[in-house]
Amino acid sequence: MKTKFDKAWFALFTIPLFFIFATVVIIPFAIGILYSFLSWDGISANPKVFVGMDNFVQLFRDDRFLASAWTSVKFTIFALIAVNVLGLVFSLLVTGGLRMSNAARTMFFMPNLIGGLILGYIWQFIFTDAFKFIGPSTGLDSIFFNWLLHPQFALYALVIVFTWQMAGYTMIVYIAGIQGIPDELLEAAKVDGANGWHRLTKIVFPLLMPAFTICLFLTLSGAFKIFDVNLSLTNGGPMNTTELFALNIYNEIFGYSRYGLGQAKAILFFLIVAAVTLTQVVITKKREVQM
Amino acid sequence: MGKVKTSLGLLAASLVVAVAAGCNSAAPADSKLPKISIFQSKVEIAESLEALTQKYKEETGNEVEVWGSAGDAYVTQLQAKLAADEGPTIFSVGSGSEAEKFKSYYYDMSNEPYVQYIAPNMELTFDGKIYGFPLGVEGFGLVYNKSMVDPRNVTDLNSFQQTLEALKAEGKNGFSLSQEAYFLIGHIINTPFALQPDPQGFIEKLNKGEVKMAETKEFQEFGKFLDVIKASAVNPLEVTYDSQMGDFATGKTAMVHQGNWSYGMLTDYGDLGFEISMMPFPLAGNDKLAVGVPGSWVINNGASPEEIKAANEFLNWLLTSETGHNAIVNEFKFIPALTNIEANNLDPLSQAVFEATSSGQTIPWAMNYFPQGIIVNDLAPAAQEFFLTKDMTGEQFLQKLDEAWARAAK
Repeated sequence: MKTKFDKAWFALFTIPLFFIFATVVIIPFAIGILYSFLSWDGISANPKVFVGMDNFVQLFRDDRFLASAWTSVKFTIFALIAVNVLGLVFSLLVTGGLRMSNAARTMFFMPNLIGGLILGYIWQFIFTDAFKFIGPSTGLDSIFFNWLLHPQFALYALVIVFTWQMAGYTMIVYIAGIQGIPDELLEAAKVDGANGWHRLTKIVFPLLMPAFTICLFLTLSGAFKIFDVNLSLTNGGPMNTTELFALNIYNEIFGYSRYGLGQAKAILFFLIVAAVTLTQVVITKKREVQM
Repeated sequence: MGKVKTSLGLLAASLVVAVAAGCNSAAPADSKLPKISIFQSKVEIAESLEALTQKYKEETGNEVEVWGSAGDAYVTQLQAKLAADEGPTIFSVGSGSEAEKFKSYYYDMSNEPYVQYIAPNMELTFDGKIYGFPLGVEGFGLVYNKSMVDPRNVTDLNSFQQTLEALKAEGKNGFSLSQEAYFLIGHIINTPFALQPDPQGFIEKLNKGEVKMAETKEFQEFGKFLDVIKASAVNPLEVTYDSQMGDFATGKTAMVHQGNWSYGMLTDYGDLGFEISMMPFPLAGNDKLAVGVPGSWVINNGASPEEIKAANEFLNWLLTSETGHNAIVNEFKFIPALTNIEANNLDPLSQAVFEATSSGQTIPWAMNYFPQGIIVNDLAPAAQEFFLTKDMTGEQFLQKLDEAWARAAK
């Protein structure tokens, strides 16, 4: 009797959620896979022609797509390092017993509350107008010029904005991890003569592994999937050199009206992101230690 | 500043869309006509259109909602909305290939009373049926500051170059394009196309790869013009539409390649202290302005019959009432393409376009026949490369353009 009752409760709470998840994630995803085998321009009245694997073959011949995939990888590596190093440093700073630590914590987290589109436009102003003003007036022309017009620096600009947005968020996760480390352990180590560096690398970092798992996963998938900052800050320019994965798919679908090809790219994109992030989670999970 | 404004506008637009989507089903069921929506591509008229719909509501009690428009991203948003079945009731489409693309969404307005006022040959037709009408004609060329430039000194490549160099020596900027795809390359490249004996045929040949821009005389001269612009004027990629018109209004720039629509931007600066007008872009001795129908307003055939009725009512009011006419000419600053409006009190830029049109001194908008989306997707990145690569010549740029064109047209 009891189990039946339990099942009813279970159903009551899960079915509505499952229904929502199915309608907004699973079903569109399945339709998306279907579209990737079609040649179609996205206008409902126009014919959808089944072309089999053509789209998947074609995308490997698409130089612009391959270039954008490579740019995405570069961006992700830079962003991964910058966000996590900065987030970790921030978290160590604000848990180090500074007087300003609460205010600092709020300040570091604040950028995360601003939407990516707005952030992009704000920083666009900084990188173009503000830099153009600072450069000549300080004589540091080689650092302060219009970053968004230089293919390499435009990518760095993206990394900076993404870091500015995400570092505060990872900081919060790291803080939670650091606060979960018992003081006894650190004190015992101190008594045994371990210096600050040893305490950090031999005790804090191993016990922080769960936080690393989460933060690396979040930044890895976030950086791969980034769209809003990319669109508003550089819009792929100059000369499509900062066009990342998601923006390339968007341009394929809406710029060239090739739904099928764009959708095929999206499927490939999904597989890559899933493979990379799963590998990362498996690796870091293995290194987590139990107290 | 302008960018922040745009992004806020975008934000507001998406909010409005979200609200509108929620409201559709919950419309009150009295005798009033249902609320309809307008989505159009001209950022310049957004505010006045909003004000006009307010007046419409006061006069008739019916509600019309204006969705925020977004310049370069307009077509994308329109397509996404239509594909999601959340399309606007009335929307604008560009001429040529863009109009062709969305053809399946148009309501046949041939039998509506207001179509009789459309100026001859200005309506949007397919197979003899009328699907849309233009609110006005537009023209572009070199918008210039009369106190800094004399059009008699800008009639060919040499004089253009001399004028720019003379102004540069005075510390002024002679000429400016801006970074937006159409203002960077889309409009200015129209001239060499329009000067071909058969522009449309030339584009078709170009699509098939039978001709090359780099081997065509007008384009070769176009490349030389770009060399001059690169050498003696500001880098357009550093300039936005806002700053372009701002520098022009404050006398820092003598000439901009713009159209009569840009006058609306200048009015923000009050009395300029100098007179302005528009002259032809003097490529290969060209002495004509580029005038065309930028786009048409159409009704979405996917809307409900009541909404279509409401849309027809609104358009009828817009094209026949005094308030509507006043808005078209005095608020939108359009050069009307209607037979029942007298054009007077035009601003100086529209006056120049109007005079060119009346005297037949015009070249067509060949860019309407470019492959769909090519300006934003292919020509603009090529132009960015040209303006960013210091030692790239106009000749090399033409080759890049040919490559980009071949990629886009396949």
